[in-house]
Amino acid sequence: MRRFRCVSAGRFLFVTGTLLLALFALAGCQARKGADGGGAVYTVADPTGDWGFPSPFAHYPRGPGYIRMHFLFDTLVWKDEKGFVPALAESWQYLKDENAYVFRLRKDVTWHDGRKFTARDVVFTVDYLQKNRYQWTDVSIVTRAEAPDDYTVKLVLARPHAPFMNNFAATVPIIPEHVWQGVTQPEQFTDKRAAIGTGPFKFVDYNKEQGTYLYEANPNYYGGRPKVAQLRFVKINAEVVPAALRQKQVNAAQVPPEVVGDLEKEGFTVIKGAHDWVAKLMINHTRPPLDNPDFRRALAHAVDRQALVDTCLRGHGLPGGAGLLAPDNPWYNPQAELYPYDPATTAEILTGLGYVKKGQYFEKDGRVLELELLVSGEGVGVPGSPREREAEMIRSQLEKAGIKVNLRGLEAKTLDQRVGEWKFDLALSGHGGIGGDPEILNRVILGQSFLSARYDRSGELNELLKRQLSAMDPGERKGIVARIQEVYAREMPALPLYHPTWYWTHDGKVNLFYTYQGVGTGVPIPLNKLAFVR
Amino acid sequence: MHVDYWAHLKQSNAGRAGLILVCLLVGVAVLAPVLSPWNPGAYTGAIFSPPGREHWLGTNDVGQDVWAQLLFGARTSLAVGCGAALLATLLSALIGGTAGLLGGLYDRFWMRAVDALLVIPPVIPAILVGAYLRPSLAVTVALLAAILWPGEARVVRAQILSLKERAPVAAARTFGAGWGHILVRHLIPELGPVLVAVFVQGVRRAVFLEAGLSFLGIGDPAVVSWGRMMQHALRFTYLDVWKWWLLPPGLALSLTLGAFALLGFALETVFHPRLRR
Amino acid sequence: MLRDRPFATYVLAVFVILSLNFILPRLMPGDPLLAIYGEEALLAMSPELKEELVRRFSLDRPLSAQFLAYLAALFRGDLGHSYYFNAPVSRVLLGFLPWTLLLTGLALCLCAALGVVLGIESGARRGRPQDAVLLSAALFLGGFPDFFAGTLLLLFFGVTLGVAPLAGALTPYAGKAGLSLVLDVLHHLTLPLLTLVVVRVGPFYLLTRNTMVTTLGEAFILTARAKGCPDRTVRYRHAGRHSLLPVVTAAGLQYAHLITGALFVEMVFSYPGMGTLLYRALLTRDYPLIQGILLTAALAVLTVNFLLELVYVKVDPRVVRAR
Repeated sequence: MRRFRCVSAGRFLFVTGTLLLALFALAGCQARKGADGGGAVYTVADPTGDWGFPSPFAHYPRGPGYIRMHFLFDTLVWKDEKGFVPALAESWQYLKDENAYVFRLRKDVTWHDGRKFTARDVVFTVDYLQKNRYQWTDVSIVTRAEAPDDYTVKLVLARPHAPFMNNFAATVPIIPEHVWQGVTQPEQFTDKRAAIGTGPFKFVDYNKEQGTYLYEANPNYYGGRPKVAQLRFVKINAEVVPAALRQKQVNAAQVPPEVVGDLEKEGFTVIKGAHDWVAKLMINHTRPPLDNPDFRRALAHAVDRQALVDTCLRGHGLPGGAGLLAPDNPWYNPQAELYPYDPATTAEILTGLGYVKKGQYFEKDGRVLELELLVSGEGVGVPGSPREREAEMIRSQLEKAGIKVNLRGLEAKTLDQRVGEWKFDLALSGHGGIGGDPEILNRVILGQSFLSARYDRSGELNELLKRQLSAMDPGERKGIVARIQEVYAREMPALPLYHPTWYWTHDGKVNLFYTYQGVGTGVPIPLNKLAFVR
Repeated sequence: MHVDYWAHLKQSNAGRAGLILVCLLVGVAVLAPVLSPWNPGAYTGAIFSPPGREHWLGTNDVGQDVWAQLLFGARTSLAVGCGAALLATLLSALIGGTAGLLGGLYDRFWMRAVDALLVIPPVIPAILVGAYLRPSLAVTVALLAAILWPGEARVVRAQILSLKERAPVAAARTFGAGWGHILVRHLIPELGPVLVAVFVQGVRRAVFLEAGLSFLGIGDPAVVSWGRMMQHALRFTYLDVWKWWLLPPGLALSLTLGAFALLGFALETVFHPRLRR
Repeated sequence: MLRDRPFATYVLAVFVILSLNFILPRLMPGDPLLAIYGEEALLAMSPELKEELVRRFSLDRPLSAQFLAYLAALFRGDLGHSYYFNAPVSRVLLGFLPWTLLLTGLALCLCAALGVVLGIESGARRGRPQDAVLLSAALFLGGFPDFFAGTLLLLFFGVTLGVAPLAGALTPYAGKAGLSLVLDVLHHLTLPLLTLVVVRVGPFYLLTRNTMVTTLGEAFILTARAKGCPDRTVRYRHAGRHSLLPVVTAAGLQYAHLITGALFVEMVFSYPGMGTLLYRALLTRDYPLIQGILLTAALAVLTVNFLLELVYVKVDPRVVRAR
């Protein structure tokens, strides 16, 4: 008896193994049969997948979360590739004397649950945001919202605010009063009703674990019936996205720059992004020797930004505009380019500052000029963010100019923390949003985030930044923004290194485009709901 | 036990193969500057160039020579892998061994400590060490050894527990042999194969963990290692480059670990005179 | 250990683990505010919003108070609220845990079974060609890091041949149910599972083989053979059982990282699981979620340990005498 049992142990395993294999093979055949999802579904791939429940408050505070939300909710005004277009508001007007905006609303709008949309919802939204704080924009700029009639809304501003149209009217999603009244913790309200908006798509499902979203077309959308019956977001790694596109599992996705040529030859449409992301060399301008603007200028001359783009980005990017804005930005000022690559100038400035070159490195008072450069790992970040490769190259460039550089790799958040607490010499960092409203300049020069240069020692720069916010005349504002870039470049509190080029590829079913100044406040993703309805 | 380990090692095929491979790898690592026409960090300007006369294994995403990186990477990977595994094996033999031998409260203390340490995912100590200590090869080795030893200590302890009760040990105890005698004469030789297996596994895990550290970005980015090479190459698997960039370090790693395993395999014979033929 | 107050030591271990779980994440530089809201330059982080978040996350309270609150909540069975996911930690965990258990649990079982059988067969045929082939295969494959093996499998079966899915644990929104859903899940599971088995079977195999080799020289084996026991019986019943002890320990060890250890495989195959969840939680410094994951992992290990102690006795009754 016993013998029998042990003999069967091996055989049992063998049989089980074979059965399992057969099952997997069968599973393969079965699954392939049903792989094609039908023509009316539009699938967008993303390497992260989960960006939170797509309500205005529950999605994660990142650009792709906003994108997922904007298909369901509408704003007063929207943007296409050229500029502002009507959305919930048919027309709008700025009343200079009252410092208020008046919006005339469409009368044919209904919420996804069939209720009529009226001015009351807009007033409710503004009041609700005042109480509950909206992440994407500072709502305190609106002091009062009134609805003189059912289809007119008047928003009174606290002060003249130039970014209002972009950062408020075209960013703040309008939520239905009948759903949200009484909701006290909006970020935890993830009922299906929390996704009721007026947008071209209706919420069907969201799966956190799989990182997938399913929306269906809203046939009653006032802007026209969407071209696709269903919109689907799925999670697929960037490395296999080209294969997913070729295998027709996906209709659109961001792709790595190196495959763009091949995909284009195979008939895919490629859209090249605006350069809304800037990689920066953060400089600790609170400690010597970096607190001296001349020293920072010497540093800027020693970094060959074109070489960084050519080598580390393999040409898929633009050298950083010294005034933070990318050369293809409508607000860009070429006068700000003060730092051609020139190690000789670096040497000249350093000598002027009392440094003497001994052997390979500069020295002062017997001490070698030595800086530590912090860099974070490969694991996270947007495509093209500066990592080890860029750090190695910058080090070799600075060493060539006679500045000794020690590299130190840190986990991403540790690096952010050290930069935030000014515990560094140099660090590699970067952020998006520079393609949005130029208000971003205030956030990344004066703001207190670790992404910001946090530089307020130039009175002129402070004044200019303040003025650009209240300059309601576009021409006047353009002049101020141009001047800001020049002064920034002169002060050089953080060196813009490059702007990576991002590519999206799609099969042409829906004509995707990049939005003027980005979706919402400036999200540089070419998924604009208008592409699906017109 | 008077065994000439060396002679026996040389006698077995596996031992010879393992020895030759390990010597070869160490030789390659030492002679890296001679064997490679390029500096591993040099930007050659040719990006993603396929293998050819100029670059024997092609170039990577920033135009560095893959062959040169492979050779210099051997240095880091061997040093980190062997160093961490050796340290961890010593620690685990010491703690696991004594816990198994002494038993009682001491044993319980260490085993619960091991439990607590085991459940901490390696990422957390890695982040903490990276945040507070300046990274260097020694720190990396110490960190990896600290991550590795608890698991190994349990294997050693289990083996000791089992050995303690076996006939030779029991016999020796009846004859009034001291624990010292038993330890040297019976337990250590009997423990041999397990320690060897533990060491080989340690090398394996250490090398993998090192690759993981580079994924998190902890350490000196300028130090080339096979793990780091693979982590970089993984981002470009949509191109053909993985054939000459990802495969070589992967295969080299597999070869190295295989060589150590062969050595372990041969040593096992040496430790077990009974099984020698 | 089973006899003298095992419960007390386990309670102590749990307390130590709870304290470590609480302290370690907070020792990491950076805080949730910075990690969750700091990264997006477009966000308008007004001082009021910041203050409100600090209050919401109870970051303004002293650590000791936070720890006590954590323990008290835990006692009520409340794991806390994830900052990043904006959901109760238990709900987040329950969403991811099944996928992890499916993938890594199945992988562990397959590895152990396959490793033991191959190890016994190989050990019994020591020095013969079958042994040599198995051994070289194990040594060669065992040298592959999981992300390497996974990537190669994905490239070959997924990208080149197109027979395996490129990502995920199921075909999203394909309207499958019942058997076809099960098959779909299995189809997605194949490659990640294969990867884990290929890279993890080695240790089980080698350990079984090593011990088998030692055991086969023991007196009781000779006795068994002398008694005229058939070869198979000697192999499995006598030697095999004797070799199980270290294997059982090794299986327990693998279980320690069962919950979070498949990070790279999950990443390569975009497979949902606790590994990537922990990674995300660490990146966003989501303390409650980190604590929840670590606690789950710890409880799993302690449970398995406890079970292992029982299994030891079953496998090797001498262990009881040893205590």
